[in-house]
Amino acid sequence: MIRKSLAALSLVAAAPFAAAEPIKMCVFDVIGANGDMFNMVEDYALEMKAHGVDFDLRPYTDEGVAVGDFNSGQCDAVAATDLRTRPFNKFTGSISAVGALPTYDDLKTVLATLAQPKAAGLMQQGDYEVLGIVPVGAGYLFVNDRSIDTAGELAGKRMATLDYQKDAIHMVNHVKATVVPSDITNFAGKFNNGSVDTAYAPAFAYEALELYKGLGDNGGIVDYPLAQLTVQVIARKGALDADTAQQSREVAWGMYGQAMNLIRGQEKAIPDEKWINIPDSDVEGYQEMFRENRLQLRDGSNGADEVYHPKMMGLLSKIRCSSNPSASECTASDRE
Amino acid sequence: MISSLVKPIVCMAAMRTKLLTLAALALLAGCSANPIYTTTGIVLSNYSEGEATPYVLQMSDPEMACALGEGIDPLLYSFSRVTDAPESTGSLMMLLAGNCVEYRAWEAELEYLREDYAGNVPAAKDARERSKRLNAETAKRRYIAYQRAMAAYDFDPGAEELECPFLFTEQEELTFLMGLLTGLQAIVNDANSGAMAGVPRNIAPQAERAAQCVDNEKWGGIPNAIRGLVWLLLPDTRPNLSPDPWEVLEDSSELGIAAGFRASMALEAVAAETFGKPEVLEDVIKRFAEADNTIVVRDDYRLVDEVARDVIQFSSDKHWTKNYGYRTPRRHFGKMSPESNNEEVETMDLDDLL
Repeated sequence: MIRKSLAALSLVAAAPFAAAEPIKMCVFDVIGANGDMFNMVEDYALEMKAHGVDFDLRPYTDEGVAVGDFNSGQCDAVAATDLRTRPFNKFTGSISAVGALPTYDDLKTVLATLAQPKAAGLMQQGDYEVLGIVPVGAGYLFVNDRSIDTAGELAGKRMATLDYQKDAIHMVNHVKATVVPSDITNFAGKFNNGSVDTAYAPAFAYEALELYKGLGDNGGIVDYPLAQLTVQVIARKGALDADTAQQSREVAWGMYGQAMNLIRGQEKAIPDEKWINIPDSDVEGYQEMFRENRLQLRDGSNGADEVYHPKMMGLLSKIRCSSNPSASECTASDRE
Repeated sequence: MISSLVKPIVCMAAMRTKLLTLAALALLAGCSANPIYTTTGIVLSNYSEGEATPYVLQMSDPEMACALGEGIDPLLYSFSRVTDAPESTGSLMMLLAGNCVEYRAWEAELEYLREDYAGNVPAAKDARERSKRLNAETAKRRYIAYQRAMAAYDFDPGAEELECPFLFTEQEELTFLMGLLTGLQAIVNDANSGAMAGVPRNIAPQAERAAQCVDNEKWGGIPNAIRGLVWLLLPDTRPNLSPDPWEVLEDSSELGIAAGFRASMALEAVAAETFGKPEVLEDVIKRFAEADNTIVVRDDYRLVDEVARDVIQFSSDKHWTKNYGYRTPRRHFGKMSPESNNEEVETMDLDDLL
C-alpha cells in the first residue's frame, strides 16, 4: 500500500502537469513564431498559466489555414484577425467596422468595455467563445498619387481588396473604385508593382512589406483610420470554464498597452511627409459616408451583406458620441 | 675636432628625418588628429583585416571569439575618430559581440521554458523578461553589424535597382554575406524582444535581393538559404517559377555540408521553428548530427560552422526544455525525445538465478 502510494506520488512529482491537457492554439502571425503578434500571444499564454491554463501555441503564417485547422478540430483555440474570426462572433467581429473607431482612445474604451464581466454573455456565440481581443493597428489607405485625397477621387481607381472581406468590397464599390481581389500575401506586391493604385493596411506593412515602393515620390498614406484591426482569441465553448474565460479576457485587455507600444512604433517609422492630412472640413463628410455604409452592412441594404452586428454598431456610436458629442451622427434620426 | 664637427651634422640629419616623418604622418592624418593615433588606427585596422579576422574565422571556440568581439570592438572602432571607420572588421567584431549577448539571451529563454514547464509562473515571467531585454541588446548590436557590413562595400540595400558591390577577396564576400545574415537575425531578435530595438523590418526583402550578389555554391548555400527564408516570410518576394522554399533550404543545407560549414542548416532550423514545422526541425537537427561523422570542416571558416552548431544546439535545447523540462542530453543530440533505442535488445531469462 505504502509502496503504491509512493509510486503514485513519484509519478505526480515527475510529471506535475501531465494531468492538465494543454489547449492547442493555432496562432496567426504573418511572420510566424518570430513575429510580434506570436510573441504577444506567448506573453498572454504565460499569464494564463498563472490561472491554471496551459496553452500549446502553433504558429501559422496563413490566417485562412489557421482558422481552417481550428474548424477541423486540429486546434482548440485560434488567434487571428477579426476579419477571419467574424463567423465565430459577429459582435466582436464588428469592431473593425469601416470608419467606426476614428481614434485609439475610442478603441481603448471599446476594449475596456468588452473586458468587463458584464460583457461575458456577448463573448459567446453558438459553440464559440471570445477569450481575448488585442489591437494590431488601424488600417490606412495607401495611394500612389497624393491627389487622391478625397473619396470622389477614388472613383475608377484600382484598389487591392481582401477577397474575403465583404465590408471592404462593399465600401470599394460604394466609392466606385475597382475591386482587385487580393490576399494578405500578394496585395503589397500588387501595390508596389503598380497593378493597383491603392491598398489598405496597418502601418506595420509600410516597412515590412516595403509599401514605400508603391507610394513612390508622389504617393502617400491617408491619415485617417479606415478600420481598427484586432487579433481575437476564439475557443470552442467549454474549453475554459466561465470564470477562467473571463480572466482570460482581462489578461488580454491587460496587454493593450504593450500592443499599442508596438503599433505606435510602427506608425512612427513612417516619415511625416508620407502622411496625407485630411482637412477637418472633409472629415465630417467621410464620417457620414462611413456611417451610411455601416448602416447598409448592418441591415443588408443597398446590395450589402449583413456583416455588422447591430449591438456593436450601437456601442461604437455611443463611444464616438461620448468623445465627440457635437458630431452630426449623434443627433441623426437613424443613429446606429 | 673632426668628430665634434660630424656630430652636429649627424644630429641635424636625424632631426630632418624625424621632421620629415612627422610631416608625412601629419599629411597622412590630416591636421586635426594626433598622427601617432592615426597611424596606429590604420595599422590596427589593416592588421585586424589582414591577420586577426582570418585567425578568428579559424577559431573553434565561438564564446572566446565573441569575447574578442566585445572586448576589441570599442577599441578598434574608437579609431574611427581619427581615421576612416574600419567598417568591414568592425562589422565582424560587432557580429561577434552580438553573439555574446545572444548566448545570454538563449540561457534566459531556456530558463523561461524550464520554469514554464515546472509551472513557476513568476520565475518564468522574470526569465522571459530578461530574455526580451537581451534580445533587444542583441538586435541593436546586430543591426549595427549589418549597417557596417553594407557601408564597408558602399552598398545601398534600399536602392531601387540592385547594384552588387565590388567584392575582391573571399573575406570580403564572407563579410558581406554574414552582414546580410546578421541583418535578418536582428529582425528575429527584435521581434523576440517585443520590438524594443526598433530594427527596420525591410532588411528582410533587402537581404533577399542582396544575397544574389554572392555565389551560392561557393558559400555553402547560405545565399539561397537567406532567399528561401525570406520567400517564406514574404511570399511576394519569391520570383515566378522559383522552386519551393523548403526544397531550397534543404538543398542549401546539403551544399553547406559539402562546403564544410553548416550555416545554411542553422537557417533551415530557424525557418522550421518560425513556420511551425516540427518535422523539418527534427530532420535538420538529425541531419546536422549525422553530418558530424562525415563533414570535413573547412579550416578557414571553422568558426562559421561552430556558430551554426550553437544555433542548432539551441533549437534542440528549446525543444527539449519545452517538452521535457531540461536541455538535450549529450547522447540524444539529433533526437527529439528521450526514447532509447534499446527496445530490440534480447534479454535472458533470470528465472534460474532467482
